[in-house]
Parts: sequence; C-alpha cells; structure tokens
Amino acid sequence: MTLFDLTGTHSLVTGATGALGRALAVALAEAGATVSVTTVSTDRAEEVEANSILNECWAAGGKNGQQKTLDLTDPAAVEAAVAALEKDVAPIDILVNAGHAANIKPVLASSVAEWMRELNRNATTVFVASQAVGKRMVPRGKGRIINVVSDLHDRGIPNCAIFGASQGAILGFTKSLALEWGGGDPLVEDRVTVNAIGIGFIEGVPGPQADPAVAEVLGRYLPLRRLGSPKDVQGAVVFLAAPTTNYVNAEVVLIDGAIATHA
Amino acid sequence: MGILDQFNLTGQCAIITGAGTGLGREMALSLADSGCDIVGVGRRSGPIEEVGEIIKAKGRRYLGVTGCDVTVSANVNDMVAQAAAKMGRITVLINNAGLGGSGRGKTLPELTDEDWLSGIDSNLNAAFYCTRAIVPHMLEQGGGRIISVTSGWGFRAGRNNWMYPVAKGGVIQLTKAIAMTYARDNIRASCIAPGLFPKTEDAAVLTEMGPKQVAGRIGFPREMGPLAVFLASPASDYLSGATVLMDGGAIAAGLLPAGVVPHAEG
Repeated sequence: MTLFDLTGTHSLVTGATGALGRALAVALAEAGATVSVTTVSTDRAEEVEANSILNECWAAGGKNGQQKTLDLTDPAAVEAAVAALEKDVAPIDILVNAGHAANIKPVLASSVAEWMRELNRNATTVFVASQAVGKRMVPRGKGRIINVVSDLHDRGIPNCAIFGASQGAILGFTKSLALEWGGGDPLVEDRVTVNAIGIGFIEGVPGPQADPAVAEVLGRYLPLRRLGSPKDVQGAVVFLAAPTTNYVNAEVVLIDGAIATHA
Repeated sequence: MGILDQFNLTGQCAIITGAGTGLGREMALSLADSGCDIVGVGRRSGPIEEVGEIIKAKGRRYLGVTGCDVTVSANVNDMVAQAAAKMGRITVLINNAGLGGSGRGKTLPELTDEDWLSGIDSNLNAAFYCTRAIVPHMLEQGGGRIISVTSGWGFRAGRNNWMYPVAKGGVIQLTKAIAMTYARDNIRASCIAPGLFPKTEDAAVLTEMGPKQVAGRIGFPREMGPLAVFLASPASDYLSGATVLMDGGAIAAGLLPAGVVPHAEG
C-alpha cells in the first residue's frame, strides 16, 4: 500500500491526550510515521495517558517520537518544543492539531473570560503551533497541517455559540493559511498543504454528544444511525498526511456520518 | 486491522465510466493497485483495452465495456447487468464520464434544447442512470460505494456557462440523495471535485499554466487515484454525502484572482 505510506516522516500531534488525538496519533504510526505528541498539563493522569499513546505509536511505527508538555498558547514554549523535536527526532513533516474542548453553555450565562478561554484553547493553539512548525515547513517546500474542526464550524446548536465560534475561527484560519503557504514551482509536485477534518458527533470527543440525552437522540437522527468512533477519523488523517495528496488544499474533509447532508 | 489495511480493496470490484483516459484511467489504475477488480466503461475500444492490459498485468480481473452510451438508460442497464454477470459482486461505482457539452459561451437566448440536453445528459443523467442501475445490486450485496466526479463548477457559476455548472451541481445533490436514502443500507455516496487537470505533463505546458493557478501548478491526473481509493475503501466508512475538493485550493481562493495578494503595514 504505497499510496498512503508515511514511512520516514515525522508527525506531531498536538492535544493528543483525548480519545480523538490518540486515534489519530496511532493511525499515523500505523501508516509508518514517527509520532511525537504534546500534552497541555503536567497532571499525572495526562502524563500516563501520553506515555501510553507514545507506547502504542512506538509499537506500531517509528520508535523515536517524543512527548512535550507545554502550554500551546505560549509561543516561546511551543517554539522551544518544536526546535527540540526537529533537532532530536527529525524535521516535522506533518502537524495534526487534534485538541478539542467544548464549552457548552448559554451565551447569557457566559463571560468574556470564558469566550477568551474557548478561543484560546481551541483556536490560538492552532495558530501558535502552525506558526512554529510552518516557519520550518515553508522553506522546505513541503509539509502537512491538518486541523480538526467540529461540523459546528458552519452549523449551529443552542448553547454551542462560543464553541462554534472557536471552530469557525480554526476553519477561517485554515483556508487563508492554506493559500498563503500553498504555492510553489510549477514543475515540482510537493507542496505545503493546510486542511481540516470536519468531524460530526464522535464518541468520547467533547461536544453536545457528551450529554447522554443528546447522544441517544443522535443515535436515531444521524443518517448512519450511530455516533462516530475516533477510529472513523483515522482514514482521513492518513489520507491528508500522505505524500500523494499535495493537490488537496484549503479543504474540509467531512467525517460526520452524513449529518451535514441533511442538516 | 491496521489503518493501511483499511485502504485495501482486495476482493472488491469497481465500475468506472470514462475509464480509458484522463482522470478515470488514473482512478482505475490506483484502485487496481489497491487490490480492486475493474469494469472499465468507455466510448473508444483502444484506450479501454490498453488500460485493461495494465490492470490485468497487476493481477486484477478486468472487463472492458465499449458498446455503452451512458446517456442512454437501456445501454446502462445492459452494462451493469453484464458487469454483474461476468464479475460477480460489484461494490463500487465511479460516475466519472462527462462532457463539456455543446453551447458553452452562448447567451441564454441562443442556447438550443440540444445544447442544454447535451450537457445535462452526459454529466447528470448518466450518473443518475448508472446509480439507478447499480443500487438494487448493491442492496442485494449488502452495500457499496457510489463516487461521482463533479467539478468546482458544481459550486460556482460563470457568465454564459449554463449546462455544465447546473449538471455538476445536480451531481452533488444526487449524491446527497443517495447518501440519505441508503445510509442505513451500507451504501455510501460521495463526490470528487477536481480542479484543473490537463492530460499532459509537458514541461512547457506546466510552466505556462502553473503560475496562473492558486497552487502554482496544475493537477496531475494521477493525483486523483489516492482520493478515489480513500472514498472507495473502509477508511472512509463514516463519510457520506460529502464532496472532497481536489483543486489546490482554487475554490477557497475564489474571492480574488490568482496571484493577487493584499499587503498591509503591520
């Protein structure tokens, strides 16, 4: 299966310690990539989780990936981590921004501080990580940035306004950044691409489906009649990461059980 | 099952219309590389036989069909029946055949019924006929994938460009209807929207056309292969009703002409 072979590449998955981040990291490793991950806190439980993810990646793929614990909204910390990973592991070929947090709350009950927190943890993290990695990718003329956004990037759900805004922010950033970095020589195939995976309601991922009553309704309402599993998103990340998909750029691949089709 | 196994199409069989040349040919070759048997449908026997020889050399089964005009439903029904009879289980349909049609650039009053129907027939009706013919077979087999090639024109419009965008927009809606109707029958439907993919890798052409594109280069037909394999395979099992653009960012960039970059002081 050479079309999607990632052997010899180095992937960095940010916000890796959720259910989705783990699935994406492992998929990249299974496709042959060396995988490094970032976690956002020094909390012991998260560190154990991160080590477990790295172990799974090591078992499946390259064995040199590392874990960095840092504040993804802190440009100096991210720059230092990216510099160290490029020096100690390998140049980063693939950046997957998988962090995903959802503040489900009425707007009238929300503060500006909560708005800033949601935008920061979902969107500022993508900006900071893309900048640190992109400034190295762009001179190399090839690379992949893959951002995970909820289908709420262009649809609405009550009590999800602030969460939805953070997803729209990521997507707007994705499209213009893709065009800023997507050019190159007419005779050279490699490109830097920036794309998104638009996820529907995935089990274990923060979002409205975390409410069991909503999940129960979705199980009947979704065209495919089931919530997605993190594993359902693995194919899309490997597809977008592959060296054969240079001409997919500024795109959102919807892995949503067809919810956007009838919504 | 590891992730790369999910892209494996061993044991599957795909009908591809317009398989002899261009994007259809490249999709057929990539599917075959991934283990898929192929039914190649096309107007001219030369290219359909030539691609068949390559596919058979890869160790796949191949059936070439050249007598089928995909704009005639009776022909399509015969083709699908023949494919099922000779190949057994058909699991993938790629509605790829399509034509620019006559009449592009004519003003609305100048357009004839024939102009209009030529564009709608070859791009939309053909996809409808093929889909209608294959769905009962797929339902019997427990599911399948229907992939249709639309275009950036399925989203945008142009002055005095009538049939092609209307037909390609129709293909996107046809895909959504398939996805909704058969979601619970394990049939997945999706669209591919290619940007500019000339059938050449001539350096002079690439150098002339590339800088006018958002991506700085044109697309190479072989780049369609991985997308077709992804959409045909279990790796995209939770994707249905959606369109995937393969255009180097062209649709996203549509707000300004290519090469125009706003500058602002920090």
